[in-house]
Amino acid sequence: MERRNFLRTCSSFLAGGLTLASGGFLLTKANGRKGDLFWQIDPYKCTQCGRCETDCVLTVSAVKCFHANRVCGYCDLCGGYYRPGVKELDTAAENMMCPTGAIRREFVEEPYFEYTIDESLCTGCGKCVKGCTSFGNGSLFLQIDQEKCQQCNECAIARVCPSNAIERVSYDQAYKMKDHA
Amino acid sequence: MRKLLFVLTSLISVKSLAVARFPKPDFTSGYEYPDIVHGLPNESFWNVLDVVLLVGMMGLVVWAAYRKRSRAVIFSMSLVSVLYFGFFRSGCVCSVGSIQNVIIAAVDGGYHLPLYVLLVFLLPIIFALLFGRVFCSGVCPLGALQELINVKNFRLSRSVSVTLSIIPWIYLAFTILYAATRSQFLICRLDPFIGIFRFGGDIGVMSFGFVLLVMSVFVGRPFCQFICPYGALLSVFSALSWKKLEITGKGCVNCALCGVSCPVDAIRAPQSNRTKEERRKGVRRVIVLSLLLPVLTFVGAKLVGSQSDALSLAHKDVYLYELLLRQEANPELEEPLEVETFHAMGGDMAELKEKVDAVRSDYVFYSHLAGALIGFVIGFKLMKLSLKRGRKTYEISMARCTMCGKCFNYCPQNLKTPEK
Repeated sequence: MERRNFLRTCSSFLAGGLTLASGGFLLTKANGRKGDLFWQIDPYKCTQCGRCETDCVLTVSAVKCFHANRVCGYCDLCGGYYRPGVKELDTAAENMMCPTGAIRREFVEEPYFEYTIDESLCTGCGKCVKGCTSFGNGSLFLQIDQEKCQQCNECAIARVCPSNAIERVSYDQAYKMKDHA
Repeated sequence: MRKLLFVLTSLISVKSLAVARFPKPDFTSGYEYPDIVHGLPNESFWNVLDVVLLVGMMGLVVWAAYRKRSRAVIFSMSLVSVLYFGFFRSGCVCSVGSIQNVIIAAVDGGYHLPLYVLLVFLLPIIFALLFGRVFCSGVCPLGALQELINVKNFRLSRSVSVTLSIIPWIYLAFTILYAATRSQFLICRLDPFIGIFRFGGDIGVMSFGFVLLVMSVFVGRPFCQFICPYGALLSVFSALSWKKLEITGKGCVNCALCGVSCPVDAIRAPQSNRTKEERRKGVRRVIVLSLLLPVLTFVGAKLVGSQSDALSLAHKDVYLYELLLRQEANPELEEPLEVETFHAMGGDMAELKEKVDAVRSDYVFYSHLAGALIGFVIGFKLMKLSLKRGRKTYEISMARCTMCGKCFNYCPQNLKTPEK
């Protein structure tokens, strides 16, 4: 009995010492740097493959379309708004790029139109983004909405993103926007 | 294919110039650009609250288990944990998953390990070293969820439960392998209950979660006992804990009621009335098993190590490389999206090969390590089984006990006797 208790106490102290040592070692790694905790898409790397819509752990993806108005050309024939080769420039569903009708447009002045995204309808499929980057100024872009993002330990979309566009950023740059140009 | 490549590359190169395709409009009506409205994350506050609640709830469980011997407090803690850590915080970052962050931080100097993630990992271990698996009891939302719906305990036979309890170590070994090579977060992907907390997720993993939940109505905490790698880790520290939990403060009367009540088979019956085995026989068996231990470790390392190339396919770069090779061999196949994007972005095959070789050599090392760990655990479990302890009363095995507090209510010594 005595020997067993002695061995037990020894191993307890060993385990305690190990925990403290490894804790201290890890503490040196944890301190002193700004956290990179927030998932963001690099809009310049994104190829709009459409996986953002389907691979997020949320039922409706946390990835949404954002619009950088300062980059937008305010065109009437918008590559993100209309499908390529439409006959009539009206709001019939077969002419619209967005499958959920999340893009709204408003007349500003001749010949300019302002485009806004209704985020509650957006599914992050990136169809409009593809149209805008191919034929327009690229003012529409996909980005992770930090209010909806669960900040998973490993972003499920990042794992399948073919262009490695999703990365972790620190709090002070929690959004990678496109309108600095 | 070449044509397709050309179209794609031209698309990409156009994209990089995309900003100037149409000039900025010059508005004459005094139109002003609207700002992009977006919600900012407010994580730091919740992270502090998480850690505070973690410590507070573990403290409460310690008080409830060691001082009050009250299941009611522990049970209500489980409810709070499922509601707050589970549904409200939707389960990220949890202590179970934090193993991976800690492993990556240990092997990769450039990886940032936030302080609160480290605390979430370390605090339950420190508590386990002091008081046992307090965290599992009513603080871990995964355990608490199973605890809340557990009704009946059908006892598994000892041999089955010991065999199954190797699974957490295998799980842990592969977690280490995949985390250290930066391939994937295995625990996060296979978390069976996170889909329930988030009301949606991968259908396969979620249905596995539901099966586990149905099982946990009849068997105590199947996930904690036979799957959870953090539980396996905690059980080591808990076995060496400073304080030992006692079912009653008034002395055991060997009524065997507590043994029936335990959902995780953590209460060991007294063995003093059994016939003792011959000492020489026991010593010989221990010597044989302790010789077997390094052999098993070696065999495990070799077995898993030999599969390192196949395992390395879990890494994104290796997978891409294999896809590229396959495409080169059979150009008539339809190009997968990964290959298409790789070419479109002007990826360099030689550069990728260099990366892949580095990853593969990492895999050789870590897969041997994982195999060695599995072999060692199997050998150690065999040794542990062969050691027979003489017990005179019913005792709690701290390694297994998840402190649900059921035995407190079953013990007749804990009944409040009316004052005479």
